[in-house]
Amino acid sequence: MRSANITGQAYAFMAMTPVKPGEEQPLADYLRGLRGRGPSPLTRLARTHLARFVIVPDFHNNPTWKQRREEHLDLNYLIFTSNLDGDLDSYLDELCEKLAPEAGEIWGRCVGCPEHAQGAALKKYLEHNQIDTGIFFAAYGHATVAMVKHALRERERMIAFAVSSQGLEPAALQKAFLAEFGEGR
Amino acid sequence: MSVQTPSAGPITATGTEPRNYDGQAIAITVFSTIKLRGRVFLPILFRVTRTFPQLTGTLRQLSFIHFARWSVIGRLPYNGPPQKKGRFRYPHMYFESNFNGGWEEYIDAFSHILTSGMTAFWGSSYGFPKPLPTAPFKKYIQDNETEADHYYSAYPDATSSMIQRALELDERVESLKRDAQRLQPDAFAAAYRRFLTESQNAL
Amino acid sequence: MAAPAVRMDLADIQGDILRGYGNDYDCTSYAFVTIECPPEQARVWFSGLLDHVTTAEPWPAGEKPLTTLNVAVTAPGLRALGVSEDVVGSFSREFREGMASRATLLGDVGPSAPESWEPGLGTGEAHVLLTINAQQTSDHERALAKMKDAMDAAGGLRIVYQKDTELLPGSREHFGYTDGFAQPAIEGSSDDKARGGGVPLKRGGWRPLAPGEFILGYPDEDTRVDPKRRLPNAPAAPLGRSGTYMVWRKLYQDVALWRRVMRDAARVYDGDEHKLSAKVVGRWRNGAPLVQYPDAPPAQFDPKTPGGNDFRYEDDMDGMRCPLGSHIRRSNPRDALNFEGHLSFRHRMIRRGMPYGRELPEGVTADDGADRGLVFVSFQGSISRQFEGVQVQWLNAGNIFGLGHDKDFLLGDPNGTGKMTIQGKPPFFLAPQEVFVRTRGGEYLFVPGITALAALADGTAG
Repeated sequence: MRSANITGQAYAFMAMTPVKPGEEQPLADYLRGLRGRGPSPLTRLARTHLARFVIVPDFHNNPTWKQRREEHLDLNYLIFTSNLDGDLDSYLDELCEKLAPEAGEIWGRCVGCPEHAQGAALKKYLEHNQIDTGIFFAAYGHATVAMVKHALRERERMIAFAVSSQGLEPAALQKAFLAEFGEGR
Repeated sequence: MSVQTPSAGPITATGTEPRNYDGQAIAITVFSTIKLRGRVFLPILFRVTRTFPQLTGTLRQLSFIHFARWSVIGRLPYNGPPQKKGRFRYPHMYFESNFNGGWEEYIDAFSHILTSGMTAFWGSSYGFPKPLPTAPFKKYIQDNETEADHYYSAYPDATSSMIQRALELDERVESLKRDAQRLQPDAFAAAYRRFLTESQNAL
Repeated sequence: MAAPAVRMDLADIQGDILRGYGNDYDCTSYAFVTIECPPEQARVWFSGLLDHVTTAEPWPAGEKPLTTLNVAVTAPGLRALGVSEDVVGSFSREFREGMASRATLLGDVGPSAPESWEPGLGTGEAHVLLTINAQQTSDHERALAKMKDAMDAAGGLRIVYQKDTELLPGSREHFGYTDGFAQPAIEGSSDDKARGGGVPLKRGGWRPLAPGEFILGYPDEDTRVDPKRRLPNAPAAPLGRSGTYMVWRKLYQDVALWRRVMRDAARVYDGDEHKLSAKVVGRWRNGAPLVQYPDAPPAQFDPKTPGGNDFRYEDDMDGMRCPLGSHIRRSNPRDALNFEGHLSFRHRMIRRGMPYGRELPEGVTADDGADRGLVFVSFQGSISRQFEGVQVQWLNAGNIFGLGHDKDFLLGDPNGTGKMTIQGKPPFFLAPQEVFVRTRGGEYLFVPGITALAALADGTAG
């Protein structure tokens, strides 16, 4: 159910796409190598709180369980989940534009992905493969990434001020406060 | 004397695999196969929990989770060959969480403090041992867990608690800024002292 | 449904773990031996030690031995004694990796990094640790000489690091605080310490901890509720049973720096230096807990009187009496983390450390260049859950207490940018957080039971 993807203003997106046979290791290597090549490409999607790429090779089966028959995935599957702000449609637009350099290496290795993994075609592919959430828990679902970053920054500044201004007389205190937090700061 | 029986679980450390970290944020990704009764029970559980958010109260109190989700997957969208078409034989539950602290502390907290919650969510999964004792439960999670290939946080240095407190603090900071503009020094100093007293657990 | 009460096989467990030997033994030497001969030869020497190893059996009244001996081994030590890789592999991962390789995790960075450790520690050379306790210096010297003679006679053995320590007057540590008396209460062994030392229960009661939290081969807090009666993870038989893991760390304390920072900070604090320091520690110098005596210490306080350690934080959840980040509150939160202690009860440690080095005279704030500090020693069933868990989550981080990135002020911050909030109306911010304590070296070890020691000596450990 679509509405279960939302808590506050936060949206839980998930896409699960089958990986082309033979592309499993190159995809894994590519994703694992992203860290070493600089900031994550997801940094370009400013409305992303936390996100992950996970390749699931198969379901776990255990002969000691009461499960009568085993179940296996036909292929490896790439899961992409994102905890994002607001409207999904515009987020996917942004993703398909800003992640265009990487999308070919990632979803381009998945079955059914359009040849040019970007723009409207990629968006359609991701929407087609969206998995709805059953329960979505968000500790601060009302807050956007921008609000979170702003609040964290203000907190840092306030701590630094509180430590450095300790023991100041009222006039000096106010002066110091305005120097740090005055008009427009 | 105690009977020597084989030991109860895996060798666990406080941490998890390296790719599950981005700064302070930790990822856990788990798939489990659901029994027949779960097909009926889980959607009801989800609806009840969504309708009565106070049920997630303890989860919220634990305050080391940023975002978490559970989904039941009965079939996957079809994308053409070589993907196989059709429903799964069993439904599968996807669980992911983004949290702070240690992997072991996280599972311990869930086992001890959310015991009935854990049983409600995982009880319909094959192979699920009870949440207590924790060692077999930890092994179960470890066996069903997949390491992330790429994990990202927009604010890796921040913990969920820190963010929640910083957000509450924000409004008070704005109010103090206005006070600084308009009050006389003594009045401002008093307002500042009040602010510190009220906000100290966020600083 | 709890398991029936266990009786412990004290004759099989080494001494000074379940119950401390006591303050009569005021000299302790730690000698790390490296084995440079083949395992068979090393084992001959090792067998020679066994008759002298002190067990956990109580001493008959008036018959305290003049000296005691205890033996521990590192992972390289097990190999040097000829233990197979398979059996070594059954020990915990962190023990096998060794403390030095976990430095980043433990916060042993900057001035505490292994690169700066004293020679012989953290290099893999430390194989067997001999701990000798003595009541008097003369006996101590005799015991050390005997140990050295035995090594020389055997050949192929060398002391790669040794630290001699001595109690300070009043059982204090170098920052001036009475230390070492707060220990976990263990079922079947120190039930008498349950009030204050055990797990806090609802309605004010306490219960002792399951022995397996500290001694392997017994049920721990997790397995005691297991209907299948499985036992906690332990190294392969016969080495696991009656054994425990040991953490040994040499911590240098910069007493002069501590005094200067506290003196300077107290100038703008509403209270004196003693109160501010007590706020950092969580106790007054005589051991009285701040949570019970928030404004001034009682004239007399003996932490060892029954119930002396019996306090909890439920009436001080805002930290106004004992700050949320104070050292003792961090290292043993008791009921402070809510949820009936379920976030803290599996992270207890037995501590048996000793101060080392001569005191810096009271009032001196200039460093004299002398080496002084604490040899930290702890015993626990799991190094990662108990020692590392506390170090990483509770001392070097503040998140679980709602303190953001604040670290334990007492230990210090290698970046020098930390602070501590002393809760109050208004709060006080204590800064700068200098490096008051530096790690000079350490090892992870295993303390085998008596049967296990014999198996190691015989070469039948597998």
